[in-house]
Amino acid sequence: MNILEIENISHRFSDGALGIDRINLTIREGEFVVIAGRNGSGKTTFLRHLNGLLLPDTGMVRIAGVPVSENIVRARQIVGMVFQDSDSQIVGETVYDDVAFGPENLCLDKSEVKRRVSEALRAVNLEAFADQRPYLLSGGEKRRLAVAGILAMKPRVIVFDEPFSNLDYPGTKQVLNQVLSLHNAGHTILVATHDLEKVIALADRLLIMEDGRVVMDGLPEDIIMKVEAFGVREPCASRLGMKIDSWLN
Amino acid sequence: MAELTPFSYRPGASVLHQQDVRFKLVFIAVISLAGMKAYFMSLSVLSFALFSAILIIHFPLKSILKELRYFFIFLIFVFAARALCTSGTPLIEFMGIDITREGMYDGILVCWRLLLIVLVGLLFVSTTRLSEIRAAVEWFLSPFPFIPGKRVATMMSLIIRFIPVIFEQAKETSDAQRARGVENRKNPVYRLMKLAVPLVRRTFESADKLAVAMEARCYTEKRVNIELYATRNDWIALFLVLCLCVLLSAIDMFGCLY
Repeated sequence: MNILEIENISHRFSDGALGIDRINLTIREGEFVVIAGRNGSGKTTFLRHLNGLLLPDTGMVRIAGVPVSENIVRARQIVGMVFQDSDSQIVGETVYDDVAFGPENLCLDKSEVKRRVSEALRAVNLEAFADQRPYLLSGGEKRRLAVAGILAMKPRVIVFDEPFSNLDYPGTKQVLNQVLSLHNAGHTILVATHDLEKVIALADRLLIMEDGRVVMDGLPEDIIMKVEAFGVREPCASRLGMKIDSWLN
Repeated sequence: MAELTPFSYRPGASVLHQQDVRFKLVFIAVISLAGMKAYFMSLSVLSFALFSAILIIHFPLKSILKELRYFFIFLIFVFAARALCTSGTPLIEFMGIDITREGMYDGILVCWRLLLIVLVGLLFVSTTRLSEIRAAVEWFLSPFPFIPGKRVATMMSLIIRFIPVIFEQAKETSDAQRARGVENRKNPVYRLMKLAVPLVRRTFESADKLAVAMEARCYTEKRVNIELYATRNDWIALFLVLCLCVLLSAIDMFGCLY
């Protein structure tokens, strides 16, 4: 079943710059898609159309059959988004408060909010930090907190925008583990990155963006050798003709 | 790790943490009013009460005082202004400038009052979650039909949430400029402008990112808020605080003003 159907969407910013240009895609439920491209290629603009943070000038995005513009709250609940800068998406004064922010916005019952927050914190192994101030967390923990904030809204699709930026090796591994376990739990995963090395071994599908358009779409092993023409570094193992291994092995 | 400002919530289970936030807001108001009118004797009593509260909640007083160092510089300026600009009996004369006895007295009094009020605010912010403050502001504004209570409460809580971020960004910007030798420029206006412009820009950018992240998590004004309960302990605390304020007024009325 297609969870996301993107029909010919284009978006132009108020200054006239073209953000994305005639993108057509379908994404199946449970798929793990990596979207790569150089800075300014339109990855973030594209992702923001998936939960109605931006609406297209032309075309339409459907989530589980319903157009985003018809019910934006539903779109944001189904498509959770983890932003590049974890610090600027932390709203709460404590870890618990921050995770509770989304469910509280959905006007859920207090006991349900509590249950969802506990579940989400357990899923990202941050239960012990519930009363901690978010600023005291490490980079990887903050990224996991952002994931917990999304999980508490029970999304079906989770979108990660540059999830490995500013993270050290242990932090990157923590986030990768988290992404993998979410995928194994049945979530559809979209990861936007310019650094394929860390995540491509986990992906089912690779999209390459250039100047706001999807210029390549296919199995990672089929197109990985051609990505350097679009400002994306080909992983070392692939350059050496070897099989790409996961960072988690 | 980000250096934290003292004005942020510190998790705990002390009496002050468990107090109903509406009562705590009333305490701040009445203690601040009483403090602003207090003189030395009553200020001593108030200081004793506040330091007892600080000890009760196991406040890291040493680190707090260190973090309040810029506020102490501000107090020095206030003291100097009072000491130099109040007319009266000269205590020290230097190059035509008089430091008067009345000015010294006035300076100490004002600085002491300001310090105690900041400590009251510090105790409140350190023991109260943002969500509770938001709920209390909404509660207090609910009788006023033309004030959007929920919006005002959210804006207030976000301002408090943003203070440590702005401080951190100011420190980062300042460090980056020091690394490029800004200290060699002696003009303070130049240095202030060079710090303020990027800081304001970054603050607006962060605010913009936060707004998008809140939108992505379905932010709405019609959201679930925490419920506020007043317990017997809150009423007892209110009684004690009112007694303290009456005592402070009585000391100043019936005792000597010094």
